[in-house]
Amino acid sequence: MATRTSIAATIGLCVAALVAATGPTFAQTTASQSDNAGAAQSAAPTSGGPHRNFVSCPIVRDTKTVPCWLAEYDGETYYLGIQTDISADFDPPYLGHRVLVEGVVKDAPRICGGIVLEPVAASPLPELDTTCNTILPAEDRYQVPFAPRPPGPSGGRLAFDPPPGGARPAAPERAGPQDFALEYDFDTAVMGRHSGTLTQIFNYAQKTKARTIRITGHRGASLLSDGSTMTERAELAEIRARETGKLLVGAGLDAASFDISWSSALEEPDGDGDWHARRTIVRVEP
Amino acid sequence: MSRIASVRRAALLTAAFTLAAVRSSAAEDEGAGDFWWSPGDGRTLPAEAAYGDSSGRIGILNTSGDVSTKGHPFFEPLGSNGRACVTCHQPADAMSVSAATARARWKATGGKDPLFAAIDGANCPNLPMADEASHSLLLNRGLVRVFLPWPPRTRDGAIVEPEFSIEVVRDPTGCNLDPEHGLASATPTISVYRRPRPVANLKYVTAAAFGVGPFNAKDAQPAAHDPDTGKLVNMNMMADAREPTLKAQALGAIATHLEGRAPSAALLTRLLGFETQIYAAQSYDVHAGELAEPNGPPAFGPRAMADGRTSVLGNNVTNYVFPIGEAWRAIPRSGDAAGDARSAARESIARGHDVFFYRTFWIKDAMHLNTVGLGNPVKRTCATCHGMHMTGMDTANGWMDIGTTNLPWATETPQSPWAKQAPEMPLFKLTCDKSVAPHPFLGRVIYTQDPGRALITGRCNDIGTIVMQQFRGLAARAPYFSNGSARDLRELVDFYDRRFNIQYGEQEKQDLVHFLSVL
Repeated sequence: MATRTSIAATIGLCVAALVAATGPTFAQTTASQSDNAGAAQSAAPTSGGPHRNFVSCPIVRDTKTVPCWLAEYDGETYYLGIQTDISADFDPPYLGHRVLVEGVVKDAPRICGGIVLEPVAASPLPELDTTCNTILPAEDRYQVPFAPRPPGPSGGRLAFDPPPGGARPAAPERAGPQDFALEYDFDTAVMGRHSGTLTQIFNYAQKTKARTIRITGHRGASLLSDGSTMTERAELAEIRARETGKLLVGAGLDAASFDISWSSALEEPDGDGDWHARRTIVRVEP
Repeated sequence: MSRIASVRRAALLTAAFTLAAVRSSAAEDEGAGDFWWSPGDGRTLPAEAAYGDSSGRIGILNTSGDVSTKGHPFFEPLGSNGRACVTCHQPADAMSVSAATARARWKATGGKDPLFAAIDGANCPNLPMADEASHSLLLNRGLVRVFLPWPPRTRDGAIVEPEFSIEVVRDPTGCNLDPEHGLASATPTISVYRRPRPVANLKYVTAAAFGVGPFNAKDAQPAAHDPDTGKLVNMNMMADAREPTLKAQALGAIATHLEGRAPSAALLTRLLGFETQIYAAQSYDVHAGELAEPNGPPAFGPRAMADGRTSVLGNNVTNYVFPIGEAWRAIPRSGDAAGDARSAARESIARGHDVFFYRTFWIKDAMHLNTVGLGNPVKRTCATCHGMHMTGMDTANGWMDIGTTNLPWATETPQSPWAKQAPEMPLFKLTCDKSVAPHPFLGRVIYTQDPGRALITGRCNDIGTIVMQQFRGLAARAPYFSNGSARDLRELVDFYDRRFNIQYGEQEKQDLVHFLSVL
């Protein structure tokens, strides 16, 4: 596995900005990114399994309960995950779009006929592709008895919430400067599923009466299993950073200042968790 | 009184609710009766009232008791065109106004009723007001004109830079291309046409708890706040969620629909007080009988609405969206023909509930549903989107695109040399800018009859998204969907069947329609 290159060592700030709480206005300044880079690196996966990174059409395999999500690559079928609900880590892809699959083969029995990839990121590509439209019917040989909720109404809680009466593990009490990461689908900006992380940032900043919010946008590249590289568009780091600042200000975050920066430089992709490079880091400084 | 109403009378008189007026689906044929509330007529709205509708009776409950309407701001004209709030929010129409009622008023008044005011009761203010065709969208679909600035403005008047351009492809009303009222006018304006929403059960519509946070759950955009209190609002009011609170909505409606000025603080308080104490739900079904009875389904009737819990997610088997219990399942037969027919009707309603709650299908290409982390498609049920306990709305901000206004799913009859009916609705072509990602299901070029929420946000992904409506009092307020494209509940069910390829059986459709008609 290649070593992820430190962001701080390879990139400089394109722009850093001091933004008043009333709205982003941009001015040249400087800031260190070392802390942010450290936060991003600590989130990188450590799995040593063989990687499968490819682009193909996603496939839906129905079952008697919830459907499986599959994708084919190089003559083999891979299992990406199942439908659950918004509490799941796995965000299923979209029919009507090709999907960038970045995963690690897991030593486990096939599910729904596919080799299990875990961890895996399934990132719908933005442009439409109407050839991606396969829904396979349910077959008795494909079962997902581990599905935490049925396809219809739930038992009264989200799939990955703690069971009734069970206590959610207490989150460590945060204090002092904290980093939060927004991770994106390939070539996209904020979507609905980011509302949870944005809310965490907002609440922590409110709770600690944050004086400064430092936002650093990044774009990424992905090394595919065929040796090619997919690179996000150059302006995306800036778009992500600016959008994040705009959203936090728009929600009424009254921090003393916003420091907004971005880097269009790329970390060299190594095919191991490259999706973590598609991110914005938000540091909240009380 | 009509034939149908006469037949029902005996049953209606046994009702717990006061029979305020009997109105049938044939009302338009006989002229509007006293079910109609004219502005300033000064009657008393009883604490409990009931009105005949297309499948039985709609119940209206005022939890504050009898309402004296004399001098009441909801019932008195507040502007220059003679309208009051009640003009478009009629008790007999579940606090909305149906197309049938509009036709009855046209016939009864020769088009002179303030309902047909030029500003929005006509297809465009520049049309001849005495001509019935000038009001065709109100008469045929129950639609009023909603005119919005282009480009959009924030609430403080700042221009929103839209992510898309807009052009008028078809303008059957003439308003969008009109030099005074249209897109190229001195004050560029877009006219869309929407159904008035019920002013009832509003504690559910405005409750902001589950699913409401500083960022909208659907698109992660900042949520709106109450400008007076600074508190978050759930943005589930109005088709495009453009007003954050009942107060803001009332002031906007008075300024536009009523062509009036802001009322005094005392009148406004009284107006809002009325709106938040009134409940509407079907109370009687011609086949199933009384809907709210001891040990019966707990979801039915206006009293259940008044007593129900707000901000509760019902898409689960602990709360349910519409809890109906077991009383109406497998009912023993008595041998009495009438009683057994009623039992059969009640079992149909219970089956219809199960179709709504448990029947899975592939929900595909629905913006702000498939994009929130569920994937496209997602195998779920009606209750996935319509999950709010007691109303079937969304607990979070509820605008989605299910295709009621966006092509290719919006109701559009292919044109032909033999077509007898010209298209009624405007058609817009919206082109998303290259600087933003294409709409995930419709691409960069989108044709729509109503851009919906996108006329407020300017966002490509919001094109054609419409805030979900509550399911209550449906039998009293046809037609359905924001653009009135479903004339009756069967057409509504057929739309979903076509849109999502559900492949309902005939029995499922009948049961589902029956269930929806008793809510």
